[in-house]
Amino acid sequence: MKEVSDNLKTETKGQVLSFSQIRRWPEFGVIIAFIILLTIFSIFSSKFLTLRNITGILTIVSELGIMAIGIAFLMIAGEFDLSVSSVYALSGFLFVTLANKFNSPLAFIITLALAAFIGFCNGIITLRSRIPSFIATLGMMLFLRGTLLAVTGGESVSYKADAIMPSLLTRYIGYGFRPSHIWFLALTLIFSMVLTNTRYGNWVFATGGNKEVARAMGVNVNKVKIINFMLSSLMASLSGCIVISRFNLANASFGTGMELEAIASAVIGGTFLTGGYGTIIGVFFGAFLMGMMRTGLVMMGAPAYWYQAFVGAILIIAATINLKLRRLEM
Amino acid sequence: MVNDSFKNKENRPILTVKNISKRFGNVQALKNVSMEVCKGDIVGLLGDNGAGKSTLIKIISGNFSADEGEIFLEGKKVHFNSPSEARAAGIETVYQNSPVCINAAVYENFFIGREIVNNYLGIKFVKNKEMQKSTLDALQNIGISIPSEKAEIGLLSGGERQAIILGRFFHWGGKVALLDEPFAALGVAESRKALKLIHNVSQKGLPIILVTHNIEYAFQVMNKYVVLRHGEVVGVGEKKDVSVDDVVSMITGAIEIKD
Repeated sequence: MKEVSDNLKTETKGQVLSFSQIRRWPEFGVIIAFIILLTIFSIFSSKFLTLRNITGILTIVSELGIMAIGIAFLMIAGEFDLSVSSVYALSGFLFVTLANKFNSPLAFIITLALAAFIGFCNGIITLRSRIPSFIATLGMMLFLRGTLLAVTGGESVSYKADAIMPSLLTRYIGYGFRPSHIWFLALTLIFSMVLTNTRYGNWVFATGGNKEVARAMGVNVNKVKIINFMLSSLMASLSGCIVISRFNLANASFGTGMELEAIASAVIGGTFLTGGYGTIIGVFFGAFLMGMMRTGLVMMGAPAYWYQAFVGAILIIAATINLKLRRLEM
Repeated sequence: MVNDSFKNKENRPILTVKNISKRFGNVQALKNVSMEVCKGDIVGLLGDNGAGKSTLIKIISGNFSADEGEIFLEGKKVHFNSPSEARAAGIETVYQNSPVCINAAVYENFFIGREIVNNYLGIKFVKNKEMQKSTLDALQNIGISIPSEKAEIGLLSGGERQAIILGRFFHWGGKVALLDEPFAALGVAESRKALKLIHNVSQKGLPIILVTHNIEYAFQVMNKYVVLRHGEVVGVGEKKDVSVDDVVSMITGAIEIKD
Protein backbone atom coordinates (compact mmCIF):
# COMPACT_ATOMS: atom_id res chain seq x y z
CA MET A 1 0.00 0.00 0.00
CA LYS A 2 2.71 2.41 0.98
CA GLU A 3 4.71 1.47 -2.06
CA VAL A 4 1.78 2.24 -4.31
CA SER A 5 1.24 5.66 -2.84
CA ASP A 6 4.96 6.38 -3.07
CA ASN A 7 4.90 5.43 -6.72
CA LEU A 8 1.94 7.66 -7.31
CA LYS A 9 3.70 10.49 -5.62
CA THR A 10 6.83 10.26 -7.72
CA GLU A 11 4.75 9.99 -10.85
CA THR A 12 2.79 13.17 -10.19
CA LYS A 13 6.00 14.85 -9.20
CA GLY A 14 7.56 13.97 -12.54
CA GLN A 15 4.57 15.30 -14.43
CA VAL A 16 4.34 18.55 -12.60
CA LEU A 17 8.04 19.16 -13.02
CA SER A 18 7.94 18.70 -16.77
CA PHE A 19 4.95 21.03 -17.04
CA SER A 20 6.56 23.59 -14.85
CA GLN A 21 9.46 23.54 -17.23
CA ILE A 22 7.10 24.95 -19.85
CA ARG A 23 5.84 27.27 -17.20
CA ARG A 24 9.31 28.63 -16.87
CA TRP A 25 9.01 29.60 -20.52
CA PRO A 26 5.69 31.38 -20.72
CA GLU A 27 7.20 33.17 -23.73
CA PHE A 28 7.25 29.85 -25.54
CA GLY A 29 4.23 30.62 -27.75
CA VAL A 30 5.31 34.06 -28.82
CA ILE A 31 8.86 32.95 -29.59
CA ILE A 32 7.56 30.18 -31.83
CA ALA A 33 5.29 32.66 -33.63
CA PHE A 34 8.24 35.03 -33.92
CA ILE A 35 10.41 32.40 -35.55
CA ILE A 36 7.65 31.31 -37.95
CA LEU A 37 6.94 34.85 -39.14
CA LEU A 38 10.63 35.61 -39.39
CA THR A 39 11.09 32.56 -41.60
CA ILE A 40 8.12 33.42 -43.81
CA PHE A 41 9.18 37.02 -44.31
CA SER A 42 12.79 36.02 -44.99
CA ILE A 43 11.70 33.54 -47.64
CA PHE A 44 9.28 35.86 -49.41
CA SER A 45 11.39 38.98 -49.27
CA SER A 46 15.10 38.83 -49.92
CA LYS A 47 15.65 42.20 -48.33
CA PHE A 48 13.97 41.33 -45.05
CA LEU A 49 17.03 39.99 -43.29
CA THR A 50 19.28 42.93 -44.01
CA LEU A 51 20.86 45.09 -41.35
CA ARG A 52 19.08 48.15 -42.71
CA ASN A 53 15.68 46.54 -42.47
CA ILE A 54 16.33 45.02 -39.09
CA THR A 55 17.42 48.29 -37.56
CA GLY A 56 14.41 49.92 -39.18
CA ILE A 57 12.12 47.38 -37.54
CA LEU A 58 13.96 47.85 -34.25
CA THR A 59 13.20 51.55 -34.32
CA ILE A 60 9.47 50.98 -34.63
CA VAL A 61 9.55 48.09 -32.18
CA SER A 62 11.41 50.09 -29.56
CA GLU A 63 8.90 52.90 -29.62
CA LEU A 64 5.93 50.55 -29.38
CA GLY A 65 7.71 48.17 -27.01
CA ILE A 66 8.60 50.73 -24.38
CA MET A 67 4.92 51.62 -24.14
CA ALA A 68 3.93 47.94 -24.14
CA ILE A 69 6.28 47.12 -21.23
CA GLY A 70 4.60 49.79 -19.11
CA ILE A 71 1.14 48.54 -20.01
CA ALA A 72 2.05 44.91 -19.38
CA PHE A 73 3.51 45.73 -16.00
CA LEU A 74 0.23 47.39 -15.07
CA MET A 75 -1.84 44.58 -16.57
CA ILE A 76 -0.01 42.03 -14.44
CA ALA A 77 -1.10 44.04 -11.42
CA GLY A 78 -4.66 43.61 -12.65
CA GLU A 79 -5.36 47.04 -14.12
CA PHE A 80 -5.64 48.55 -17.55
CA ASP A 81 -4.42 51.74 -19.18
CA LEU A 82 -6.01 52.98 -22.39
CA SER A 83 -4.77 56.52 -21.93
CA VAL A 84 -1.18 55.70 -22.95
CA SER A 85 -1.66 56.79 -26.56
CA SER A 86 -2.92 60.18 -25.45
CA VAL A 87 -0.12 60.50 -22.93
CA TYR A 88 2.23 59.65 -25.77
CA ALA A 89 0.88 62.41 -28.03
CA LEU A 90 0.63 64.93 -25.21
CA SER A 91 4.18 64.18 -24.10
CA GLY A 92 5.52 64.62 -27.60
CA PHE A 93 3.77 67.92 -28.00
CA LEU A 94 4.76 69.22 -24.60
CA PHE A 95 8.35 68.11 -25.07
CA VAL A 96 8.69 69.96 -28.37
CA THR A 97 6.99 73.10 -27.12
CA LEU A 98 9.03 73.27 -23.92
CA ALA A 99 12.29 72.39 -25.67
CA ASN A 100 11.73 75.17 -28.19
CA LYS A 101 11.18 77.58 -25.35
CA PHE A 102 13.85 76.43 -22.87
CA ASN A 103 16.10 73.43 -23.53
CA SER A 104 15.51 69.78 -24.23
CA PRO A 105 16.69 68.14 -20.93
CA LEU A 106 14.43 70.41 -18.90
CA ALA A 107 11.57 69.80 -21.31
CA PHE A 108 12.15 66.06 -21.00
CA ILE A 109 12.06 66.12 -17.20
CA ILE A 110 8.95 68.27 -17.02
CA THR A 111 7.21 66.05 -19.59
CA LEU A 112 7.98 62.89 -17.63
CA ALA A 113 6.84 64.51 -14.40
CA LEU A 114 3.53 65.45 -15.98
CA ALA A 115 3.11 61.93 -17.33
CA ALA A 116 3.77 60.49 -13.89
CA PHE A 117 1.15 62.84 -12.54
CA ILE A 118 -1.37 61.69 -15.15
CA GLY A 119 -0.63 58.09 -14.19
CA PHE A 120 -1.12 59.01 -10.55
CA CYS A 121 -4.50 60.53 -11.43
CA ASN A 122 -5.48 57.39 -13.35
CA GLY A 123 -4.66 55.35 -10.28
CA ILE A 124 -6.48 57.59 -7.83
CA ILE A 125 -9.56 57.83 -10.04
CA THR A 126 -9.68 54.06 -10.49
CA LEU A 127 -9.18 53.26 -6.82
CA ARG A 128 -11.31 56.01 -5.34
CA SER A 129 -14.28 55.89 -7.66
CA ARG A 130 -14.08 52.10 -7.88
CA ILE A 131 -14.92 52.21 -11.57
CA PRO A 132 -12.95 49.72 -13.67
CA SER A 133 -9.64 51.08 -14.91
CA PHE A 134 -10.76 50.31 -18.44
CA ILE A 135 -13.43 53.01 -18.12
CA ALA A 136 -11.35 55.40 -16.05
CA THR A 137 -8.47 55.41 -18.50
CA LEU A 138 -10.79 55.45 -21.52
CA GLY A 139 -12.14 58.68 -20.08
CA MET A 140 -8.62 59.95 -19.50
CA MET A 141 -7.65 59.01 -23.04
CA LEU A 142 -10.52 60.98 -24.56
CA PHE A 143 -10.03 63.87 -22.19
CA LEU A 144 -6.31 64.25 -22.92
CA ARG A 145 -6.67 63.78 -26.65
CA GLY A 146 -9.56 66.23 -26.82
CA THR A 147 -7.73 68.80 -24.74
CA LEU A 148 -4.65 68.45 -26.90
CA LEU A 149 -6.64 68.88 -30.10
CA ALA A 150 -8.51 71.86 -28.71
CA VAL A 151 -5.41 73.63 -27.43
CA THR A 152 -3.31 73.07 -30.53
CA GLY A 153 -6.16 73.49 -32.99
CA GLY A 154 -4.79 70.46 -34.78
CA GLU A 155 -1.64 72.29 -35.84
CA SER A 156 1.79 70.69 -35.75
CA VAL A 157 4.88 72.13 -34.12
CA SER A 158 8.36 71.33 -35.30
CA TYR A 159 11.38 70.77 -33.12
CA LYS A 160 13.89 73.63 -33.31
CA ALA A 161 15.82 73.21 -30.07
CA ASP A 162 19.17 71.70 -29.06
CA ALA A 163 20.25 68.17 -29.91
CA ILE A 164 20.92 66.91 -26.39
CA MET A 165 17.82 64.83 -25.73
CA PRO A 166 17.27 63.75 -29.35
CA SER A 167 20.86 62.44 -29.37
CA LEU A 168 20.28 60.58 -26.15
CA LEU A 169 16.98 59.21 -27.32
CA THR A 170 17.00 58.46 -30.99
CA ARG A 171 19.69 60.01 -33.24
CA TYR A 172 21.69 57.46 -35.26
CA ILE A 173 24.70 56.04 -33.51
CA GLY A 174 26.03 53.99 -36.40
CA TYR A 175 25.03 51.06 -38.64
CA GLY A 176 21.45 52.23 -38.43
CA PHE A 177 21.23 51.69 -34.70
CA ARG A 178 19.67 54.26 -32.43
CA PRO A 179 19.81 54.90 -28.67
CA SER A 180 16.11 54.02 -28.48
CA HIS A 181 17.05 50.42 -29.30
CA ILE A 182 19.33 50.36 -26.29
CA TRP A 183 16.67 51.99 -24.11
CA PHE A 184 14.17 49.37 -25.14
CA LEU A 185 16.55 46.51 -24.44
CA ALA A 186 17.69 47.97 -21.13
CA LEU A 187 14.12 48.66 -19.98
CA THR A 188 13.10 45.14 -20.96
CA LEU A 189 15.88 43.70 -18.82
CA ILE A 190 15.26 46.02 -15.89
CA PHE A 191 11.51 45.48 -15.80
CA SER A 192 11.94 41.77 -16.31
CA MET A 193 14.34 41.58 -13.40
CA VAL A 194 12.13 43.68 -11.16
CA LEU A 195 9.18 41.45 -11.95
CA THR A 196 10.88 38.13 -11.40
CA ASN A 197 13.58 38.86 -8.86
CA THR A 198 12.43 41.53 -6.49
CA ARG A 199 9.92 41.75 -3.70
CA TYR A 200 8.07 44.45 -5.59
CA GLY A 201 7.68 42.08 -8.53
CA ASN A 202 6.14 39.49 -6.23
CA TRP A 203 3.73 42.09 -4.98
CA VAL A 204 2.75 43.03 -8.52
CA PHE A 205 1.92 39.39 -9.26
CA ALA A 206 0.07 38.98 -5.99
CA THR A 207 -1.92 42.18 -6.50
CA GLY A 208 -3.02 41.07 -9.94
CA GLY A 209 -3.42 37.44 -8.94
CA ASN A 210 -5.72 37.99 -6.01
CA LYS A 211 -6.08 41.43 -4.54
CA GLU A 212 -7.83 40.21 -1.40
CA VAL A 213 -5.16 37.64 -0.61
CA ALA A 214 -2.38 40.14 -1.24
CA ARG A 215 -4.05 42.70 0.99
CA ALA A 216 -4.74 40.16 3.71
CA MET A 217 -1.10 39.12 3.67
CA GLY A 218 0.05 42.67 4.18
CA VAL A 219 0.75 43.91 0.65
CA ASN A 220 -0.28 47.50 0.09
CA VAL A 221 -2.17 46.76 -3.13
CA ASN A 222 -3.30 50.33 -3.73
CA LYS A 223 0.27 51.56 -3.60
CA VAL A 224 1.36 48.87 -6.03
CA LYS A 225 -1.42 49.82 -8.43
CA ILE A 226 -0.73 53.53 -8.29
CA ILE A 227 3.00 53.00 -8.85
CA ASN A 228 2.22 50.81 -11.84
CA PHE A 229 -0.22 53.33 -13.27
CA MET A 230 2.54 55.91 -13.01
CA LEU A 231 5.07 53.61 -14.63
CA SER A 232 2.70 52.89 -17.49
CA SER A 233 2.23 56.60 -18.10
CA LEU A 234 5.96 57.29 -17.77
CA MET A 235 6.86 54.65 -20.32
CA ALA A 236 4.26 56.00 -22.77
CA SER A 237 5.68 59.45 -22.26
CA LEU A 238 9.23 58.28 -22.89
CA SER A 239 8.03 56.58 -26.03
CA GLY A 240 6.33 59.81 -27.16
CA CYS A 241 9.49 61.85 -26.60
CA ILE A 242 11.50 59.32 -28.60
CA VAL A 243 9.13 59.37 -31.57
CA ILE A 244 8.90 63.13 -31.63
CA SER A 245 12.70 63.43 -31.48
CA ARG A 246 12.89 61.16 -34.49
CA PHE A 247 10.27 63.00 -36.54
CA ASN A 248 11.20 66.48 -35.29
CA LEU A 249 7.52 67.18 -35.48
CA ALA A 250 4.64 66.89 -33.04
CA ASN A 251 1.02 66.61 -33.94
CA ALA A 252 -2.03 66.25 -31.74
CA SER A 253 -3.26 63.18 -33.57
CA PHE A 254 -0.04 61.20 -33.15
CA GLY A 255 -0.35 57.68 -31.84
CA THR A 256 -4.11 57.33 -32.17
CA GLY A 257 -4.97 53.68 -31.62
CA MET A 258 -1.49 52.88 -30.41
CA GLU A 259 -2.77 51.84 -26.98
CA LEU A 260 -4.46 48.87 -28.60
CA GLU A 261 -1.28 47.88 -30.41
CA ALA A 262 0.59 48.04 -27.13
CA ILE A 263 -2.05 45.95 -25.38
CA ALA A 264 -1.97 43.50 -28.29
CA SER A 265 1.82 43.21 -27.89
CA ALA A 266 1.41 42.43 -24.23
CA VAL A 267 -1.33 39.86 -24.84
CA ILE A 268 0.56 38.20 -27.70
CA GLY A 269 3.51 38.03 -25.32
CA GLY A 270 1.46 36.01 -22.85
CA THR A 271 0.19 38.64 -20.41
CA PHE A 272 -3.25 37.91 -18.98
CA LEU A 273 -5.94 40.53 -19.29
CA THR A 274 -7.18 39.33 -15.93
CA GLY A 275 -3.87 40.05 -14.22
CA GLY A 276 -1.54 37.94 -12.16
CA TYR A 277 0.38 36.48 -15.05
CA GLY A 278 2.78 37.69 -17.70
CA THR A 279 6.40 38.24 -18.60
CA ILE A 280 8.30 41.21 -19.92
CA ILE A 281 10.43 39.08 -22.22
CA GLY A 282 7.16 37.90 -23.77
CA VAL A 283 6.13 41.51 -24.31
CA PHE A 284 9.49 42.18 -25.94
CA PHE A 285 8.81 39.49 -28.51
CA GLY A 286 5.16 40.53 -28.78
CA ALA A 287 6.19 44.05 -29.75
CA PHE A 288 8.77 42.61 -32.12
CA LEU A 289 6.13 40.53 -33.80
CA MET A 290 3.99 43.60 -34.40
CA GLY A 291 6.86 45.65 -35.80
CA MET A 292 7.99 42.79 -37.98
CA MET A 293 4.54 42.36 -39.45
CA ARG A 294 4.30 46.01 -40.30
CA THR A 295 7.43 46.03 -42.44
CA GLY A 296 7.32 42.40 -43.48
CA LEU A 297 3.91 42.61 -45.09
CA VAL A 298 4.82 45.71 -47.03
CA MET A 299 8.05 44.13 -48.20
CA MET A 300 6.17 41.05 -49.33
CA GLY A 301 4.13 43.36 -51.51
CA ALA A 302 0.89 43.33 -49.55
CA PRO A 303 -0.97 46.65 -49.31
CA ALA A 304 -0.21 48.38 -46.01
CA TYR A 305 -3.85 48.11 -45.03
CA TRP A 306 -3.47 44.40 -44.50
CA TYR A 307 -1.31 45.10 -41.48
CA GLN A 308 -4.25 45.68 -39.16
CA ALA A 309 -6.10 42.63 -40.41
CA PHE A 310 -3.01 40.56 -39.73
CA VAL A 311 -2.52 42.00 -36.28
CA GLY A 312 -6.11 41.10 -35.49
CA ALA A 313 -5.70 37.53 -36.68
CA ILE A 314 -2.36 37.07 -34.91
CA LEU A 315 -3.80 38.50 -31.70
CA ILE A 316 -6.65 35.99 -31.65
CA ILE A 317 -4.40 33.08 -32.56
CA ALA A 318 -1.74 34.03 -30.05
CA ALA A 319 -4.18 34.56 -27.20
CA THR A 320 -5.77 31.19 -27.94
CA ILE A 321 -2.42 29.41 -28.06
CA ASN A 322 -1.29 31.05 -24.84
CA LEU A 323 -4.43 29.92 -23.09
CA LYS A 324 -4.12 26.40 -24.52
CA LEU A 325 -0.55 26.21 -23.29
CA ARG A 326 -1.70 27.17 -19.84
CA ARG A 327 -4.45 24.56 -19.92
CA LEU A 328 -1.87 21.99 -20.90
CA GLU A 329 -0.07 22.83 -17.69
CA MET A 330 -3.23 22.35 -15.69
CA MET B 1 -16.43 19.21 35.68
CA VAL B 2 -15.12 16.61 33.33
CA ASN B 3 -11.44 15.87 33.63
CA ASP B 4 -9.33 17.64 31.07
CA SER B 5 -7.73 15.59 28.39
CA PHE B 6 -4.02 15.09 28.95
CA LYS B 7 -3.30 17.35 25.98
CA ASN B 8 -4.39 20.63 27.47
CA LYS B 9 -2.26 20.99 30.54
CA GLU B 10 -2.47 24.68 29.91
CA ASN B 11 -5.94 25.49 31.03
CA ARG B 12 -6.15 29.06 29.88
CA PRO B 13 -8.42 29.12 26.85
CA ILE B 14 -7.02 30.64 23.67
CA LEU B 15 -10.40 31.65 22.37
CA THR B 16 -13.49 32.29 24.44
CA VAL B 17 -16.85 33.11 22.99
CA LYS B 18 -19.29 34.43 25.57
CA ASN B 19 -23.05 34.76 25.25
CA ILE B 20 -23.08 35.62 21.59
CA SER B 21 -26.45 36.50 20.11
CA LYS B 22 -27.25 37.50 16.60
CA ARG B 23 -30.47 38.33 14.83
CA PHE B 24 -31.16 38.71 11.16
CA GLY B 25 -34.46 40.53 11.04
CA ASN B 26 -36.96 38.21 12.64
CA VAL B 27 -34.64 35.26 12.70
CA GLN B 28 -32.72 34.57 15.85
CA ALA B 29 -29.60 33.03 14.32
CA LEU B 30 -27.66 32.69 17.55
CA LYS B 31 -28.84 32.88 21.11
CA ASN B 32 -26.45 33.10 24.05
CA VAL B 33 -23.81 30.92 22.48
CA SER B 34 -20.67 30.34 24.48
CA MET B 35 -17.68 28.13 23.82
CA GLU B 36 -14.04 27.78 24.71
CA VAL B 37 -11.04 26.60 22.77
CA CYS B 38 -7.81 25.69 24.55
CA LYS B 39 -4.35 24.85 23.34
CA GLY B 40 -4.28 21.49 21.59
CA ASP B 41 -8.05 21.40 21.21
CA ILE B 42 -9.90 20.30 18.18
CA VAL B 43 -13.43 21.43 18.80
CA GLY B 44 -16.04 19.92 16.56
CA LEU B 45 -18.70 22.55 15.92
CA LEU B 46 -21.64 20.43 14.85
CA GLY B 47 -25.19 20.99 13.86
CA ASP B 48 -27.74 20.71 11.12
CA ASN B 49 -28.14 23.17 8.26
CA GLY B 50 -29.32 26.48 9.62
CA ALA B 51 -28.28 25.62 13.16
CA GLY B 52 -26.07 28.70 13.28
CA LYS B 53 -22.61 27.16 12.74
CA SER B 54 -21.74 29.43 9.84
CA THR B 55 -23.06 32.50 11.57
CA LEU B 56 -20.91 31.75 14.60
CA ILE B 57 -17.84 31.15 12.45
CA LYS B 58 -18.48 34.37 10.59
CA ILE B 59 -18.77 36.31 13.81
CA ILE B 60 -15.53 34.86 15.15
CA SER B 61 -13.71 35.56 11.89
CA GLY B 62 -14.94 39.13 11.60
CA ASN B 63 -17.43 38.82 8.76
CA PHE B 64 -20.38 39.71 10.97
CA SER B 65 -20.48 41.46 14.29
CA ALA B 66 -22.56 40.02 17.08
CA ASP B 67 -25.58 41.84 18.51
CA GLU B 68 -24.63 40.79 22.00
CA GLY B 69 -21.82 38.94 23.63
CA GLU B 70 -18.05 39.05 23.70
CA ILE B 71 -15.07 37.32 22.19
CA PHE B 72 -11.79 36.94 24.04
CA LEU B 73 -8.53 36.00 22.40
CA GLU B 74 -5.91 34.86 24.89
CA GLY B 75 -7.85 36.56 27.63
CA LYS B 76 -8.13 39.89 25.86
CA LYS B 77 -11.44 41.15 24.59
CA VAL B 78 -11.40 41.55 20.85
CA HIS B 79 -13.71 42.96 18.21
CA PHE B 80 -13.10 42.45 14.51
CA ASN B 81 -14.63 44.55 11.78
CA SER B 82 -13.30 42.45 8.95
CA PRO B 83 -11.72 39.07 8.24
CA SER B 84 -8.40 40.86 7.67
CA GLU B 85 -8.47 42.20 11.20
CA ALA B 86 -9.23 38.77 12.58
CA ARG B 87 -6.43 37.29 10.51
CA ALA B 88 -4.00 39.92 11.71
CA ALA B 89 -4.94 39.04 15.28
CA GLY B 90 -4.34 35.34 14.59
CA ILE B 91 -7.69 33.86 13.61
CA GLU B 92 -7.92 32.38 10.15
CA THR B 93 -10.81 30.70 8.41
CA VAL B 94 -9.92 28.04 5.89
CA TYR B 95 -12.71 27.06 3.59
CA GLN B 96 -13.14 25.17 0.38
CA ASN B 97 -12.60 28.14 -1.89
CA SER B 98 -10.17 30.01 0.29
CA PRO B 99 -8.65 32.56 -2.03
CA VAL B 100 -5.10 32.08 -3.29
CA CYS B 101 -3.07 33.58 -6.13
CA ILE B 102 -3.68 30.69 -8.48
CA ASN B 103 -1.02 31.65 -11.02
CA ALA B 104 1.70 31.92 -8.41
CA ALA B 105 3.81 29.07 -7.11
CA VAL B 106 3.12 27.41 -3.78
CA TYR B 107 6.13 29.03 -2.15
CA GLU B 108 5.18 32.43 -3.54
CA ASN B 109 1.74 32.09 -2.02
CA PHE B 110 3.36 31.00 1.20
CA PHE B 111 5.52 34.09 1.36
CA ILE B 112 3.27 36.83 -0.07
CA GLY B 113 3.93 39.96 1.90
CA ARG B 114 6.67 38.26 3.93
CA GLU B 115 9.27 37.61 1.26
CA ILE B 116 12.80 36.76 2.27
CA VAL B 117 14.94 39.40 0.60
CA ASN B 118 18.48 40.53 -0.01
CA ASN B 119 18.85 44.26 0.13
CA TYR B 120 21.19 45.66 -2.52
CA LEU B 121 21.23 49.45 -2.72
CA GLY B 122 17.68 49.64 -1.45
CA ILE B 123 16.37 47.18 -4.01
CA LYS B 124 14.92 44.13 -2.35
CA PHE B 125 15.78 41.03 -4.32
CA VAL B 126 13.82 37.95 -3.38
CA LYS B 127 15.68 34.83 -2.34
CA ASN B 128 13.61 32.27 -4.16
CA LYS B 129 15.75 29.28 -3.21
CA GLU B 130 15.52 30.07 0.46
CA MET B 131 11.78 30.62 0.32
CA GLN B 132 11.31 27.35 -1.52
CA LYS B 133 13.29 25.45 1.07
CA SER B 134 11.57 27.15 3.94
CA THR B 135 8.16 26.39 2.46
CA LEU B 136 9.04 22.76 1.95
CA ASP B 137 10.34 22.47 5.51
CA ALA B 138 7.29 24.15 6.97
CA LEU B 139 4.91 21.92 5.05
CA GLN B 140 6.83 18.74 5.81
CA ASN B 141 6.96 19.69 9.45
CA ILE B 142 3.22 19.21 9.71
CA GLY B 143 3.06 16.34 7.26
CA ILE B 144 1.82 18.01 4.10
CA SER B 145 3.22 16.47 0.96
CA ILE B 146 2.74 18.37 -2.28
CA PRO B 147 4.06 17.57 -5.76
CA SER B 148 6.42 20.52 -5.80
CA GLU B 149 6.75 23.76 -3.89
CA LYS B 150 7.45 25.38 -7.24
CA ALA B 151 4.18 24.18 -8.77
CA GLU B 152 1.52 26.80 -9.34
CA ILE B 153 -1.03 26.57 -6.61
CA GLY B 154 -3.78 26.53 -9.24
CA LEU B 155 -2.52 23.13 -10.37
CA LEU B 156 -3.10 21.57 -6.97
CA SER B 157 -6.26 19.97 -5.68
CA GLY B 158 -8.68 21.70 -3.37
CA GLY B 159 -7.49 19.60 -0.47
CA GLU B 160 -3.87 20.49 -1.09
CA ARG B 161 -4.72 24.16 -1.30
CA GLN B 162 -6.57 24.07 2.00
CA ALA B 163 -3.65 22.21 3.51
CA ILE B 164 -1.20 24.83 2.28
CA ILE B 165 -3.32 27.68 3.63
CA LEU B 166 -3.54 25.94 6.98
CA GLY B 167 0.19 25.23 6.87
CA ARG B 168 0.97 28.83 6.05
CA PHE B 169 -1.25 30.05 8.86
CA PHE B 170 0.41 27.70 11.31
CA HIS B 171 3.89 28.64 10.10
CA TRP B 172 3.29 32.36 10.57
CA GLY B 173 2.12 31.95 14.12
CA GLY B 174 -1.65 31.73 13.87
CA LYS B 175 -3.57 31.32 17.10
CA VAL B 176 -6.86 29.67 16.15
CA ALA B 177 -7.85 28.08 12.87
CA LEU B 178 -11.48 27.76 11.83
CA LEU B 179 -11.98 25.01 9.30
CA ASP B 180 -15.27 25.47 7.52
CA GLU B 181 -16.47 22.21 5.95
CA PRO B 182 -12.94 21.13 4.99
CA PHE B 183 -14.12 17.76 3.69
CA ALA B 184 -16.95 19.10 1.54
CA ALA B 185 -15.19 18.61 -1.78
CA LEU B 186 -12.64 15.98 -0.83
CA GLY B 187 -12.55 12.34 -1.78
CA VAL B 188 -12.01 9.60 0.75
CA ALA B 189 -8.22 9.49 0.44
CA GLU B 190 -7.90 13.24 0.54
CA SER B 191 -10.20 13.48 3.54
CA ARG B 192 -8.02 10.98 5.35
CA LYS B 193 -4.98 13.15 4.64
CA ALA B 194 -6.86 16.20 5.84
CA LEU B 195 -7.79 14.46 9.09
CA LYS B 196 -4.17 13.54 9.66
CA LEU B 197 -3.11 17.10 8.98
CA ILE B 198 -5.69 18.51 11.37
CA HIS B 199 -4.45 16.12 14.01
CA ASN B 200 -0.80 17.03 13.39
CA VAL B 201 -1.36 20.75 13.47
CA SER B 202 -3.31 20.60 16.69
CA GLN B 203 -0.65 18.36 18.26
CA LYS B 204 1.84 21.09 17.47
CA GLY B 205 -0.25 23.55 19.40
CA LEU B 206 -2.64 25.22 16.99
CA PRO B 207 -6.19 24.98 18.30
CA ILE B 208 -8.81 24.19 15.71
CA ILE B 209 -12.52 24.67 15.40
CA LEU B 210 -13.82 22.15 12.94
CA VAL B 211 -17.15 22.84 11.33
CA THR B 212 -18.54 19.88 9.49
CA HIS B 213 -21.58 17.86 8.62
CA ASN B 214 -19.53 14.74 8.66
CA ILE B 215 -19.85 13.54 12.21
CA GLU B 216 -17.85 10.43 11.50
CA TYR B 217 -14.81 12.44 10.43
CA ALA B 218 -15.27 14.87 13.27
CA PHE B 219 -15.21 11.98 15.72
CA GLN B 220 -11.91 10.79 14.36
CA VAL B 221 -10.04 13.94 15.33
CA MET B 222 -11.93 16.13 17.76
CA ASN B 223 -11.50 16.04 21.51
CA LYS B 224 -14.38 18.35 22.31
CA TYR B 225 -17.70 19.05 20.72
CA VAL B 226 -20.20 21.83 20.61
CA VAL B 227 -23.59 21.10 19.11
CA LEU B 228 -25.82 23.90 17.90
CA ARG B 229 -29.50 23.64 17.17
CA HIS B 230 -31.75 26.53 16.21
CA GLY B 231 -29.01 28.92 17.22
CA GLU B 232 -28.55 27.54 20.70
CA VAL B 233 -25.89 25.33 22.24
CA VAL B 234 -27.63 22.06 22.95
CA GLY B 235 -24.58 20.00 23.76
CA VAL B 236 -21.03 20.63 24.82
CA GLY B 237 -18.39 18.39 26.30
CA GLU B 238 -15.57 15.95 25.69
CA LYS B 239 -15.74 13.49 22.88
CA LYS B 240 -14.87 10.53 25.09
CA ASP B 241 -18.08 10.98 27.06
CA VAL B 242 -20.40 10.63 24.09
CA SER B 243 -21.08 8.33 21.18
CA VAL B 244 -21.81 9.24 17.59
CA ASP B 245 -25.45 8.37 18.22
CA ASP B 246 -25.62 10.74 21.18
CA VAL B 247 -24.34 13.58 19.06
CA VAL B 248 -26.71 12.78 16.23
CA SER B 249 -29.56 12.86 18.73
CA MET B 250 -28.43 16.27 19.93
CA ILE B 251 -28.23 17.57 16.38
CA THR B 252 -31.68 16.33 15.48
CA GLY B 253 -33.14 17.28 18.82
CA ALA B 254 -33.98 13.82 20.09
CA ILE B 255 -32.16 14.48 23.35
CA GLU B 256 -30.80 17.55 24.99
CA ILE B 257 -27.84 17.58 27.36
CA LYS B 258 -27.25 20.79 29.18
CA ASP B 259 -25.04 21.63 32.07
